[in-house]
Amino acid sequence: MAKKSVLSILTLLAIMLLVAACAGLKSNSALPAKHPTTAELGVPPKNCIECHESGEELPYQRYVHTADFGKNHRPEATQGEAVCAMCHQTSFCNDCHATRVELKPSLKNQTETYRSMPHRGDYLSRHRIDGRVDPTPCFRCHGNPKSARTCANCHG
Amino acid sequence: MRRVTRYRGIFLALILFSCVLPTYVSGAELQIKSDTILRLFQRDTATTDDATVLPGYEYLQVDAGHLSDYGVSFHLYGWGRNDFADNDYYENQTAGELLYGYMEYRQEANRFNAKLGRFQVFSGVANDAVDGLYLSGDLGDYFDLSLYGGQPGALDSEQGRSGDSIYGGRLAHHLGTHYEVGVSYKSIDNDHDKTAEMIGVDMSLFLPANIGLYGYSAYNNETDDWAEHSYELRIPVGSVLFKPYYQHFTYEGYFGTGANAVNPFRALSQTGEKLSTYGVDALWQINTNWTLGGKVKIFDHDKIDNAETYSAQLTWQGDGLTQYGGEIGHTSASDTADNDYTLVRLFGYCDAMAGQFWLDFVSADMLMTFYKNDIYSEDSSFFASLGTGKRFLNDALSVTLSGDYSQDPYFDDDLRGMLTMSYAYDKQ
Repeated sequence: MAKKSVLSILTLLAIMLLVAACAGLKSNSALPAKHPTTAELGVPPKNCIECHESGEELPYQRYVHTADFGKNHRPEATQGEAVCAMCHQTSFCNDCHATRVELKPSLKNQTETYRSMPHRGDYLSRHRIDGRVDPTPCFRCHGNPKSARTCANCHG
Repeated sequence: MRRVTRYRGIFLALILFSCVLPTYVSGAELQIKSDTILRLFQRDTATTDDATVLPGYEYLQVDAGHLSDYGVSFHLYGWGRNDFADNDYYENQTAGELLYGYMEYRQEANRFNAKLGRFQVFSGVANDAVDGLYLSGDLGDYFDLSLYGGQPGALDSEQGRSGDSIYGGRLAHHLGTHYEVGVSYKSIDNDHDKTAEMIGVDMSLFLPANIGLYGYSAYNNETDDWAEHSYELRIPVGSVLFKPYYQHFTYEGYFGTGANAVNPFRALSQTGEKLSTYGVDALWQINTNWTLGGKVKIFDHDKIDNAETYSAQLTWQGDGLTQYGGEIGHTSASDTADNDYTLVRLFGYCDAMAGQFWLDFVSADMLMTFYKNDIYSEDSSFFASLGTGKRFLNDALSVTLSGDYSQDPYFDDDLRGMLTMSYAYDKQ
């Protein structure tokens, strides 16, 4: 019953959005294909609001790469893949989010200590505790049969 | 082994395709990036104690075509590994994965985007590799739509590919810098059996004073249960950014992915557990160099006891990538995981050596973890790594050497070395 209600509401919402969307198909969006690079700008383009004022096309504030952005960028990635793609190729994301990788991110990029890479140091011991406290973040990167091969030796 | 051979063929074909075809496209660019990694360490294997393990990895990325502008382009990225010592540490001497390989067309009008091949989708409920077709674009000024369909890349090793399918999409409505709301759907079949069917709603609301509200909910239509609700506020107060949040997970809905569920998640999906987490992150940008961050998070379980974690981090940011910092955190989970731990980390990366020393950068990392209860008779872990590197050929080639040492519950006096050579070729 609950399932039917949720599906009905979401289907209705989707149809309403689709109908409204089809009302006007021409977009005035003017995002460039690529953002200027660090080499072109002279500084890493991490602080969007240094150059872009609020009130322009994008809510730039949300894309500012604060010190914890590496650990907390899910809303931006879920909704703004096209914005991310102006600076980052998918290979950048694939260090953590991929069908299967064998080297953990902090090992593949061991010298890049300035990046918030997960699993630094002896995570094998810490994961015994973290995994019981909250296993949901583990699932995002280790949840499919290929990426779970790193878990299989112990967890079967 | 068969899988690697198959991917080698696809890999080579796509490299050839990526390199040759763009020469017929006017204004084509070609970028090749290669990371060659050689590691050295010792492990006990089934037949030998302290056996030398010498894996070599190659991460290859090729991008060609209209990369800086709209038009047609080709993209390829994958990795391969060979264990040169071949002493049974790895299940197979070689391994590899084509992470993506696709042709893309981007059009300025309506930001139309099409991908054909293997690609990764990050959109709404999707975070998946797809072998198929992806289409996205603006529908007028206030809507955008993305659709994808094909076979799931993550399931090609599960009983062949016959009967495998993945499709879905996301429809979003946005009003400039005021709000965005999206509805997404994903369906995955393996061997004609439904593996996952997820429906998601995501939203962003941009309020006055730069306050933002972000939310995401996902419903698992297969288990007939909500998988997740995650909501977060971002409140800037002067130079401090506060992020209070609330999340709720139902393990059956979140981890329940049918016949393809893998352990330990398959077991978790059957526990009937529900988890609520809430807390606040705070980030104080003291000045252009110094940042202080703090975090408090409470884990409220339905069936097992609760836990909490607290941490603080101080960083100093210099020119370029130079950064030094420290972090201390404590996780209290005695009733949840039969243990507590306190973590201390110090790290540094000096990028300001170019022109002054022969080397271009030096990095260091040190972590100490103290456990309340012993793990394999050890009450602490110590990890330290040192690295350095130099760039050549106008920074196109960089050579990095790093080593790390670990003394922890699993490894005793463990020394590991790593040599990385990164080469980037860019032809405009």
